[in-house]
Amino acid sequence: MVALQFGAIGVECCNRPMTNTDSFDLVVVDDDEEVRTALRRLLRAMGHKVRVFASAEEYEATPVAADCLIVDLRLPGLNGFELMERLRLRGFSTPIVFITGDGGPSPNGTTVHAGTQSLTKPFDESDLTAAIARALSDSHESAP
Amino acid sequence: MTTTTRRIPATTNRQLAVRLAVSRALGRTRDLDGVYGAALATLAECLNVSRASVLLFDPDRVMRFKAYRGLSSEYRAAVEGHSPWTPDSVDAEPILVPDVSRDPSLQEYLPAFVREQIVALAFIPLVSLGRVIGKFMLYYDAPHVFEAEEVQLASVIATAVAFAIERATADELARGSDAAGIEHSVAGISRDVSGLFQEEAVHAGQRQVLEMIATGAPLDEVLTLLVHVVEDQCDGSVCSVVLLDTDGVHVRVGAAPSLPDEYSERIDGKPLGPRVGSSGTMMQVGQPVIDTDIVCHCDSPWDVLRDVAVASGLHACWSTPILSPHKKVLGSFAMYCPTPRGPSREELRLLETAADLAGAAIDHHRSQEALRRSEERNRAILRAIPDWMFVMSGDGVYLDYHVKNPEALLAPPEAFLGKSMREVLPSWLAGAYERAFERALATNEPELLEYNLEEHHEQRFYEARIVRADADRFLCIVRDITDRKRAELDAAAQREELAHLNRVLILAEQSGALAHELSQPLAAILTNAQAARRLLDQSPLDLDELRAALDDVIKNDKRAGTVIHRLRELLKKRDTVLQPVDLNEIAREVLDLTHSDLLLRRMRITTALSPELPAVLGDRIQLQQVILNLILNACDAMSTVTPADRELTLTTVVDDELVEIAVADRGIGIPEDQLDSVFDPFFTDRVQGLGLGLTISRSIVLAHRGRIQAENNVGPGATFRFFLPVSRLPHPPTAFPP
Repeated sequence: MVALQFGAIGVECCNRPMTNTDSFDLVVVDDDEEVRTALRRLLRAMGHKVRVFASAEEYEATPVAADCLIVDLRLPGLNGFELMERLRLRGFSTPIVFITGDGGPSPNGTTVHAGTQSLTKPFDESDLTAAIARALSDSHESAP
Repeated sequence: MTTTTRRIPATTNRQLAVRLAVSRALGRTRDLDGVYGAALATLAECLNVSRASVLLFDPDRVMRFKAYRGLSSEYRAAVEGHSPWTPDSVDAEPILVPDVSRDPSLQEYLPAFVREQIVALAFIPLVSLGRVIGKFMLYYDAPHVFEAEEVQLASVIATAVAFAIERATADELARGSDAAGIEHSVAGISRDVSGLFQEEAVHAGQRQVLEMIATGAPLDEVLTLLVHVVEDQCDGSVCSVVLLDTDGVHVRVGAAPSLPDEYSERIDGKPLGPRVGSSGTMMQVGQPVIDTDIVCHCDSPWDVLRDVAVASGLHACWSTPILSPHKKVLGSFAMYCPTPRGPSREELRLLETAADLAGAAIDHHRSQEALRRSEERNRAILRAIPDWMFVMSGDGVYLDYHVKNPEALLAPPEAFLGKSMREVLPSWLAGAYERAFERALATNEPELLEYNLEEHHEQRFYEARIVRADADRFLCIVRDITDRKRAELDAAAQREELAHLNRVLILAEQSGALAHELSQPLAAILTNAQAARRLLDQSPLDLDELRAALDDVIKNDKRAGTVIHRLRELLKKRDTVLQPVDLNEIAREVLDLTHSDLLLRRMRITTALSPELPAVLGDRIQLQQVILNLILNACDAMSTVTPADRELTLTTVVDDELVEIAVADRGIGIPEDQLDSVFDPFFTDRVQGLGLGLTISRSIVLAHRGRIQAENNVGPGATFRFFLPVSRLPHPPTAFPP
């Protein structure tokens, strides 16, 4: 495990490839309570540790160490990209899987950065697993 | 004997002519023979009868001929003494015999009738002071059907003749006494008798005038008769009635038959004042004016009329105000005397009586006139109204109708008059009318009923106003509103078409956001289902979590269903459905639908929804559409504003009879000179859409009897608000079958 500085607060990040039997620390940020609850339920049933947040601001306020963030793109207040950018600006490279409701163009014309994956709701659990795995491996490859 | 009794119609011109003729003819003579002659002449002239007679009771109570025309002495001898009445008979009425041969009570005189060639006759009683003093007879040589008017005229003449006879008898008695040199005291008695008859004559004249008033004779004829009656009582005097116009300023001559035309010419139309003689002065002060010598009183108000009066040989003028029952001055009654003197007590009384009568006549005339005008106005209104009117009893029977174009009625009048609605109308409509009657009865307010009927394979629309007319009758005013209704329906169809187009465009524009709205529950469903499958593989089974996952599947499926349902509703082409709706609920639905779009646009939403918002009568989808348009409009207005300042406030307020919804933005605002044109078609700053959103919103709000307005905020941005009337429907509107 590599400890990274996240702003003034120490955040532990677990950057490693994913296997079927792995258990990760995951964070879900989605303003839709139903989606949030369902993802927590599924990911826990898969054996992961899951923390959920209703907004980017909420996560920023009480950041927890995670191997991967699953973030809704369309959020009230800071959106998913903005959250990522703020994290990156602080040198924080936790892999992120973006989930979107409409699969439409990215807000503000941003492009998907390295170390991020994007899923369109509704998505299958295998796609989710694969996306998390890809995000982890991308991040692993690009890590110094 | 046969007596025809028929209702006497209102006074005709002929009757009036007869009244005046008989009054003049009898007024000119003071002796009995003159009276008889005048009576026979008047009868012949007015009733067009060649043979007539006057018979009176002699002191021995036997009826004898006093005057006659065209009767032989044999006949007179044969019938003299016959009378259907005694002097004490009360309420003697004319007896009419259209054919003597058919009248059993006259059989004993039949030979005399045959010899004299009398086939029909009439007995007209002469009544004075309540006694029958005699009769006159009318004879016809062919069967005669008596007209009601004819009989009435005969009675009028009889009344006039009766006092002319009494007055002449009294005069002769007085003259006889003077000639015989009877002592003063006796003369006094005879003068009393004469006075009595004079009074009786005045009373009779008064009755005649009152009768004329009652039968609605024209005012100038009534006043002319009144002047004659008074003039007849005062030798050499002439009278006039001057009327004060209802404007209270101008005067005109009501009757002055014995004064020269110049008199009228000088007075008519002049403003009230001293220049119109003593009458004018008197009307101003409302007091009698006695001018004993108008020639000598150089400072008297006679400057205008003096020479006319002098030329007519008149010296004194006594006038008294004519007052209405409410003591309003209506005019003056003036008596001009050829000698310079004041009036006697009797003359003053006569003057006052005449003024009273004139007052009654003028007042009656004016109220009749007002009534007539009002009726005329009502008739004119009725004529002008294209509506059908039906007077109906409380239990729904057609009593009367007024229809300008009866051919347009569904059924001819005879098919519904006297019949019940239940027999005439389809039962659903009769039922609707009955309920409207009940409501009108309960509230005492006009009730409105709209319905349509199929006629000749065509729908026609009607609007009925039901008003309670009196205790148990209703007035139904029915209007054919087919044209209006069709125009309304066309406009509504056009509006619905445009509104639909607007919705389709909004949804196309919003497709991303809508997909998001749908993908959220779908994602939750799939994820929960897959979580459940994994939970099933675990040991031990976490049944609570499994159940929670399945519950969430169900919940989110329903959520997706709701989104689809709302989308379908918005996309559907549909007719307007008016029902009581909660605008707060509609606002929340719209916010749900636009949730993700607003997120994407970085809008902060603030709501201030009044917790006690009464329902409005409206179409749910159309009102959603209005709010949707206003929200999208607000978002567009803020698209260039920094995200931190993008705040949209949705407010609902109830104010008395109106519910208000306001959508406020913090955008670029509206140029002041364009505040009125933002609702015009194709007025748009928007890149997307057709620029019809606000136009359609306005047409929807107007169709809901509401209004919509735009204003700039004190701070940045603009506020659009619309107002809808509070629904007062206690229950859903009554629907009628098409």
